[in-house]
Amino acid sequence: MNFDEFQNRARLYVIGALENGESQEFARARARFGQKAEDFIIECYQLHEAFALSLRPAKSSEALKERLMKMVRERKKSDGNTE
Amino acid sequence: MPRRPKLPADLDPEESGPRLPAVSPPLEPGEPTDLELMQGIQQEDPEALSQLYDRYNGIIKALILRVVHNEAEADDLLQEIFMELWNQAKNFSAQKGKPLGWMVTLARRRAIDGLRKKQAYMRAGERLQNETEQQPDAWVHNATEEEINFTDTRMLIRKVINGLPLAQQQAIDLAFFHGMSQREIAANTNTPLGTVKTRLELGLKKIYDGLKELKDEL
Repeated sequence: MNFDEFQNRARLYVIGALENGESQEFARARARFGQKAEDFIIECYQLHEAFALSLRPAKSSEALKERLMKMVRERKKSDGNTE
Repeated sequence: MPRRPKLPADLDPEESGPRLPAVSPPLEPGEPTDLELMQGIQQEDPEALSQLYDRYNGIIKALILRVVHNEAEADDLLQEIFMELWNQAKNFSAQKGKPLGWMVTLARRRAIDGLRKKQAYMRAGERLQNETEQQPDAWVHNATEEEINFTDTRMLIRKVINGLPLAQQQAIDLAFFHGMSQREIAANTNTPLGTVKTRLELGLKKIYDGLKELKDEL
């Protein structure tokens, strides 16, 4: 697999669309290309951001945020008590 | 005259070189960057999580809804994802990507897991055919400040995606938003496996290249 082919596979990899056989071959190429491969894969994850940002934001209730923040504060308090 | 998005504060154009441009929405002067908020969360500051939630809950919920198609489940997952973000913040590394990318990856995985548990994805292909290019009406609401901030970015990204042939858009949609494998996409769309693979590869490359070109527009 040359690096162009690796790039094609990397874009499939980050969206979880590699088939089993391809995954093994991809893993071998990833190890062979080393840091260059890792840098490219990190870059490909920006596709995730782009797909998410292509959507129209959906509305959530204030109550949901209040519940979340209450859980977070309780977790922080409980973690503080156990330390 | 439409407002043109600014580069995010945490993107140094001199450092970006040939890489993909950051696709995050612009920040107002003085607003903390996503990375600063993540660092605040890592230091267990609830206010940092509150701000990150305000900035991205709409986007993350839209992503979850695109996968699970159920408002109540989406709300539950949204809460779980931000709780997981709080609990797992120490695992975030800026060297491995940006906070939004990390959040989206986390949210997508959670949403697809939820979808698979219900096995509702079996009907995803049929559902997709019923969807329009835009979001279903149920997702549309009066523009909030958050949405206005995202609009320019969204329009630019949509332009890139909409430039793809429909078959490529569909293959990517089924893979990314429904977690389908190439074989599942082939089965759901009555398309040869090799064609699905080609559509995914070509479509993703075009989006990747299109995002690079967006850098000039940004």
